[in-house]
Amino acid sequence: MARRGLVFAALLAALAVATAASLALGAVKVPLGTVLDVLLGKGASATDTQIVEVLRLPRTVEALAVGAALGVAGAILQGALGNPLASPDVIGVTGGAGFGAILIIIVLPGSIALLPLTALAFGLLAAALVFGFAWSGRNRGSVGKVVLAGIAVLSLFTAGTTGLLAAFPERAPSAIFFIAGGLTSSGWRDLETVWPYFAAGFVCVLFLIRPLDRLALGDDVAASLGSRPQLIRLGAGVAAALLAAASAAIAGLLGFLGLVVPHVVRMAGGSSSQTFVVPASALGGAALLAGADTLARTLRAPIEMPVGPFMVILGVPLFLWLLRRAV
Amino acid sequence: MRKLLGLTLLLAALCLPASSQAAAQRIVALTPFAANTLARLGVTPVGIGQTLGGAERFLPQLQGVPTLPLSHPNGPNLEQLAALDPDLVFSSRTWAKGNQAMEELGIDVVVHDPRSVDGAFADTFKIGTLVGRKHYARDLLQGMRRRVEAAERGIERRPKVMLILGVGRTPFTFLPNSWGGDVVSRAGGRLLTGGVSSSSGFERISDEVVVAENPDVIIAVPHANEDDIPSLTEYLRTNPAWSSTNAARNGRVYVSVDNSLLQAGTDVASTIRKVRRAYLKN
Repeated sequence: MARRGLVFAALLAALAVATAASLALGAVKVPLGTVLDVLLGKGASATDTQIVEVLRLPRTVEALAVGAALGVAGAILQGALGNPLASPDVIGVTGGAGFGAILIIIVLPGSIALLPLTALAFGLLAAALVFGFAWSGRNRGSVGKVVLAGIAVLSLFTAGTTGLLAAFPERAPSAIFFIAGGLTSSGWRDLETVWPYFAAGFVCVLFLIRPLDRLALGDDVAASLGSRPQLIRLGAGVAAALLAAASAAIAGLLGFLGLVVPHVVRMAGGSSSQTFVVPASALGGAALLAGADTLARTLRAPIEMPVGPFMVILGVPLFLWLLRRAV
Repeated sequence: MRKLLGLTLLLAALCLPASSQAAAQRIVALTPFAANTLARLGVTPVGIGQTLGGAERFLPQLQGVPTLPLSHPNGPNLEQLAALDPDLVFSSRTWAKGNQAMEELGIDVVVHDPRSVDGAFADTFKIGTLVGRKHYARDLLQGMRRRVEAAERGIERRPKVMLILGVGRTPFTFLPNSWGGDVVSRAGGRLLTGGVSSSSGFERISDEVVVAENPDVIIAVPHANEDDIPSLTEYLRTNPAWSSTNAARNGRVYVSVDNSLLQAGTDVASTIRKVRRAYLKN
């Protein structure tokens, strides 16, 4: 219990530091006092106000929301499928969202304003296909069927994405940041589009935490306790699909976060209980993405780089260190 | 005997340009710049590269010349290229991987894809020399310089310009060592770069710098179609990140879907005039 408390405290501290850094640091130097003045609604120059209010604040909130959503999506999928390799990639969401976004960027650039919504729609479509196949025929809703259907649908959409990039090679550079994963400074525009999906996903997760703990005891035990394992898996899949598709719509393809963060908090906290893993993954994911995004936009400032590689650079050493200790 | 010798020398002199040209009779030009330069020099290539947005930039003399569709990073399909049996290919750094493969086929590959107006002048002369049309190239060059000087004359205002490549939420900014960057500078624009330099000529620059440097004009080169211009312009104009800039507030956000700012052409003076008239209004 004390260990879990310590992990929570460390995650909260990391989240506070990452959030403060994300708001305080950027390509243009804005004094910390001015940042606070803008956030508190006191006077500041028009330029500083625009930078803090319109660029940094929405981007920080996006990083926190996306990081938390992907961490939680990975945690509940790993719990529901009982598979340590489960992540939003496995239910096809990442591949579907990627295809939707590339379709807009490459084929329909004039409809660029529809990118978040299209990525979201294709992400959810991919998840629907996975669940549709997994819940049909024999062994409906078995873990093996979900994983195999997920891999098949992911391959299908990945092939479509590759085909589009090959057909319009001149337009491919515009897609780099989406594929590598990257937040943008587009004010609240993207969040306004996808926040209902985040909200729906997080609400679903709240109702799934205890059933997932029961599912961890095995399908038979869970059923004897009055739970319906297949329904829990379906619910977890839907919640993860909502969270991961909304995340991809904003920040591109960041599947790594959903895979690694739940493992890190499980190993650090020494517990697989969802009442611990889910909120801890939310905090860890949010801190990791906010920190990585700050690095991506300040390390070679004013040049901005995709956040995906930075997240891996920050996350992998910690993951490997914990993995070595655990084994 | 003297008369015979004189006649022989005269015949040799008359044959010289033809034989120089014969050294590279079958030429493929993969860039609009090389293709149009050859056409202006009176040389018709056996094939020309077809880039996105490049078709409308070819001179009328090139109508009917077989086209080779190009793709990154290989350039033309090697079988289609080999079928044209070229001795010489004028290529670009863009097709670096393909250039190597073409050389392995025994074809001479020369890269001429200038990234500046001065580079275009120099390459015009080099191409003329390579195809045995040095004198024509010199005349062509003089005319180009004269027209460019005229196009640069009388600049009254020098607005700050952000020139961006690509669509989406993460466009790249043209730097001074890019073709578009140099053309805009010659048209009187002060290029927004955030102090960044890059050998590629493009970089993704923070929107914070865009807000701080406050461009008067934003020009996007998005690799899109003519029909997309209104929606793309609206999307960029209403981008919250740039809403405080002079460009967005004064409605001076423009979209250019042809590739005249992306890739060098021989129509340098008219491109500079177009930038001044349509975008910089100076």
